[in-house]
Amino acid sequence: MTPHSEKNGDEILLSKLKEILLKEERARVDVIQEQLDVLKTNLPDEYEVLINKLIEEKLKKSQDDIVNAIFPSVGKMIKKYINLQIETLKDSIDDKFKKAFTIKDFFRNVRSSIFGVKPSEEILTSLVDFQIEEVYLIQKNSGLLIGSASRETTLDQDVIAGMLTAIKAFVEDAFKREEEDLESIQYGTYKIILQNFHSYYIAMAVSGILSSNQKDQLGNRLLHFADTNLKHISSQPDAAKIEEISKELKKEFLS
Amino acid sequence: MRLQILINFMLSRKVILTGSFGVGKTSLFSRFINNTFSDRYITTIGVKVDKKSLEIDGQEISILLWDIAGEVTQNKVPNSYFLGASAIIYVFDLTRPSTYKNIKLDIDYLNKMLPNITILIVGNKKDLLDQEKIKTIGEDLGYPIDLYTSAKTGENVENLFETIGRGFIE
Repeated sequence: MTPHSEKNGDEILLSKLKEILLKEERARVDVIQEQLDVLKTNLPDEYEVLINKLIEEKLKKSQDDIVNAIFPSVGKMIKKYINLQIETLKDSIDDKFKKAFTIKDFFRNVRSSIFGVKPSEEILTSLVDFQIEEVYLIQKNSGLLIGSASRETTLDQDVIAGMLTAIKAFVEDAFKREEEDLESIQYGTYKIILQNFHSYYIAMAVSGILSSNQKDQLGNRLLHFADTNLKHISSQPDAAKIEEISKELKKEFLS
Repeated sequence: MRLQILINFMLSRKVILTGSFGVGKTSLFSRFINNTFSDRYITTIGVKVDKKSLEIDGQEISILLWDIAGEVTQNKVPNSYFLGASAIIYVFDLTRPSTYKNIKLDIDYLNKMLPNITILIVGNKKDLLDQEKIKTIGEDLGYPIDLYTSAKTGENVENLFETIGRGFIE
């Protein structure tokens, strides 16, 4: 017997010994392996409902935490996405204007070069519209209502006028800016524009998207309205005058 | 026709409720506006505005009532809250001397800020004291008290606003 064949014989013997000694363990491993295979194949069918239920419960319990965690990131992502889409839209409109040329475009381009408004901005403004929902004419100091017009009946209009005056007074007092007035209050896509005059102010609630151009135009309309209807208004107008002003407000801004 | 006449004569006036914390301004406000009272104390944040119409001797009066939070004087409340008011109700708590110890200072301040307007001084929570004690407080105060009220029982609350309303039509 050569040393090599002697070594092979030892290995065979050792292997047989292992087989005998570890027989039970191997059988157990085989069973576990079999069970694992079964589990792997059947897990989705057998436990899907249970797991889904557990995940659902966990999500429900920590809903606030999840929302708190993802809200800032999602908000930023949405804002970024919308900005990007609007930018792309603007670019594409400007591009089309360069390629296609009509008389209308000519005038639009002339306007844009004079007033510095891009054609894309002009078109976008015409696509996204706004609506005047409510108008209030309010005495500046007392907050008493002089006239109002509204598309829908909401809260008591005297109370709205009072609260708006309180908010305005608070902001103007708290941030003490010489000769400056609160000019707008915004929440979501709803905006309250405040046009200040000497003894009264007009609050206009607007829904939708209002560009700075449209805001200027509204301001001009309010100035024109005041010039036409409010020049000789008394500090304590009677109910007939209030009704007359309310009708004018409705005619001018809501019809 | 009658309605039209009433509408034409309706008066609108701003009335301020002021005084220290916890004297019952909001309770008087709720009692007057909604005829309700709550024992729970919730401090008013900023200002609360509501309206109630009264009819006095056939005259409709719309009172826009401003319930102003907290102290009266020295920059604690924006002065502009008081502007344009036709009357002020200064409320103190009969059971807490700290709420009326500065009464002269406060009234002088209000008179200086809004000369020529009606200021009514009201001692509230009268249901918590007996008549004798209320009388002593009134005498010791050295300042004329216009009315003693209880927002809890409603005593003198209607009377308070009627007095104010009557002042507007006289």
